[in-house]
Amino acid sequence: MNIGTRKILDRSFTAVGIGSIIVMAIALMIVVLPIITNGIGAVFFTGTVEHRKMLFSEFKRGDSEGLSSEVASSERYRSKVYDMLTGFETELETMAPEKKVEYKAKYAQVRAALQALLGPLPGDSAPMLTRFKYGQTRWEKSEEKLHDLLYESKWDNSNPDVMSKEYFVSRAIGFQGTSLVKLFPYVKDNLEKMLLPEFTVYWGFITDSSVDSHFFGGIWPEIQGTFFLAVGAMLFAFPLGVVAAVYFTEYARPGFLNSMLRSANSTLAGVPSIVFGMFGLAFFINTLKVSESKSVIAGALTLAIMILPTIIRAAEEAILAVPKTYREASLSLGSTKWNTIATVILPAALPGILTGGVISLGRAAGETAPIIFTAAVSVGSAIGLADVFSSPTPALSWNIYNLASEHEAASQIRHVQYGMVLALVSIVLMLNLSAIVLRARISKKLKG
Amino acid sequence: MAGESGGECNRTNAFVVSARKRTLQKIAKTAGEGMLFSVASFVAVIVLFIFYFVARDAVPFFQIRGFSEFFTSSNWYPADDPARFGAFAIIYGSLMVTFGSALIAVPMGVAAAICLSDILPFSIRQYAKPVIEMLAAIPSVAFGFFALVILAPLLQNNGGPLLMWAWWILVSPFMVLAVIVLSDLLTTKITDQERRQQLHIFFLILFGLLSVFLLFKVGTILYGIQILTGTNALNVSIILSFMALPTIVSVSEDALQAVGRDIREGSYALGATRAETIIKTVLPAGSSGILAAVILGIMRALGETMVVWMASGNSSQVPEPWFNYLQAIRTLTATIAGDMGEADQVTGSARFHVLFAMGLLLLVISFISNLVSERIVVRQRKILSGQ
Repeated sequence: MNIGTRKILDRSFTAVGIGSIIVMAIALMIVVLPIITNGIGAVFFTGTVEHRKMLFSEFKRGDSEGLSSEVASSERYRSKVYDMLTGFETELETMAPEKKVEYKAKYAQVRAALQALLGPLPGDSAPMLTRFKYGQTRWEKSEEKLHDLLYESKWDNSNPDVMSKEYFVSRAIGFQGTSLVKLFPYVKDNLEKMLLPEFTVYWGFITDSSVDSHFFGGIWPEIQGTFFLAVGAMLFAFPLGVVAAVYFTEYARPGFLNSMLRSANSTLAGVPSIVFGMFGLAFFINTLKVSESKSVIAGALTLAIMILPTIIRAAEEAILAVPKTYREASLSLGSTKWNTIATVILPAALPGILTGGVISLGRAAGETAPIIFTAAVSVGSAIGLADVFSSPTPALSWNIYNLASEHEAASQIRHVQYGMVLALVSIVLMLNLSAIVLRARISKKLKG
Repeated sequence: MAGESGGECNRTNAFVVSARKRTLQKIAKTAGEGMLFSVASFVAVIVLFIFYFVARDAVPFFQIRGFSEFFTSSNWYPADDPARFGAFAIIYGSLMVTFGSALIAVPMGVAAAICLSDILPFSIRQYAKPVIEMLAAIPSVAFGFFALVILAPLLQNNGGPLLMWAWWILVSPFMVLAVIVLSDLLTTKITDQERRQQLHIFFLILFGLLSVFLLFKVGTILYGIQILTGTNALNVSIILSFMALPTIVSVSEDALQAVGRDIREGSYALGATRAETIIKTVLPAGSSGILAAVILGIMRALGETMVVWMASGNSSQVPEPWFNYLQAIRTLTATIAGDMGEADQVTGSARFHVLFAMGLLLLVISFISNLVSERIVVRQRKILSGQ
């Protein structure tokens, strides 16, 4: 081959390698950035007067005088809408029967869109679900709902070869010649005065419990559940893992038994996470009966088994990284082997062991599959510490799945889902970042 | 301990311990060691327990229904009467997304590992490693959420253009390389300098035109593709490949670093470029370690639950045609996760046990591949150190 071609090949080889690392970094960005930007929107957003109404009546928060003056000023503009509605209703009564039927159906749609936008209208019966008690609490959502009010969506199926396309027809045209036609430009122009949007910082998203399956309120029960599960798993796995690591590094003699134990360790590390869940169900719940059905303790035990190999490996590495001189110095001073381990080696290896523990904590917090059958429940309030032995808990990881895939109005509460994902990802990445920093400091220290 | 007991009896003989004390110490030592051993063997006990308890609930299924339906039929109607438990399409779906993710992750992962171990200077490597660790740390449900909420609509609405751009961006650099290398290889045998140069340019233009034609032709075909559902095998494969990448990168980087400097330096001394050194000497020497890395990475993709559950479409069918990655599929893990809730109520029925049969299948596959990859790593270490 030409020397020139060889050089080109060499360069492009380098480029492929660097390129794939860049692709990985970009992939990380592409996954994390939308989660961060949208997730922040769960706490910082433009809230409407409906949000403040909701906070006041569901959580008894906010200043009642300010709220009532706000409500009064918004009612001033809303009352005109209500007048138009009653005006049209009386007009409807005087219409010819076939026209009446046609307009009635259209009018019902308009009314539903208005209810979604502003909350219950006068004359409505009190709604059963909390989600219908308030209008749109977020400004960007109310703009969407305004679009629903102004335009009717229709699907174009005329060409069978391509996918049907959505298109919009103005509702105002449908009401041409009636008194209701004035409603649409009025709502469009005065929406801001009716909803009074203002920049809101809702820290309650983190500390409140949810209202009406996450339509309003926060994610505290999930955060607490994740905390219970992850910390519970660590309580079981960390001591066991460290002791096992001490055995493997200090006492185990090479041989058949030892290699079997090591194989068992790597097998356990490779077991698919869903199988841990099945095992937890079959063993902890159905056989040992640690609890009647799903419970935090069963989930924590299952997670503990899952993170055990990681902890053992990390602790082993940390112990092996302790310089030989430490050990020899301690032994030469006459201390026993056990004494050396307890007072010299373990303290020196502790930061490294903790690093592994922190990473495992993150893994336990983020894992979903093992807790599906053992601990997770979709809706529920925060449980007390005494209930961990008997009751299941909502957890961030499971509820992200549940809200995104199984919730009856998943597309309505995207901001809650993003907020939850951001909470989980930031918990896990924080733990990992602190582990990375900790490790960098250790390696500096060990180098001297 | 020794100092205290010595102080009691004799100051000059501080380290002499009475026989009784010595046996006591010995017993304590053995007991302590035994306790440590029992904790360490706890892991092995758990592994045995996992096998036993999953198999215990899986065996009744095979007793009732036999093997042939489960592995050969694709009629999966567990809720019907009579119920049908053909899991072939589900197993096929699992293999399909695993293969797809390996197709993306293995070349990228190995290239990244080579880059980390041989090409990048230490100062940059320091920053590249945390990126990989972060990618490994992101919870699977977050990836699944991304696949479902962001990637799936993107694929569904702009699938054709996206595929076309991916094809152009990914393939055109390699096309250019192939053109250069091919025209060079075809003309190396010619001795006449002038004729060779002419032919070289001729080949360059010929292959160049051919490759441009190919790029555009395939590009327009891809542009015309309409993806009917964004939750499909392609979506899942892409996401799973990112989840498998960190494992592949870190394990194969270890394997490459285990290959000694002497091999590399020998190759450089013979006049090889860096690319030639890596491809012809370092990679073959580290190949078994890389194979182990690939196996571990693939297992990560095969055992992953949340991403496939959320974004694979969960339809139990073999795609039409069989290699169509743009259709919804269903995997073993997603079936277990999705059906257990319904099957749980009727413990004891075939519907409950079939899920454990699937779990057992996963468990056995992961056990075997773990064992294989471990053996490979041990053997490679022996060969590299023993030579």
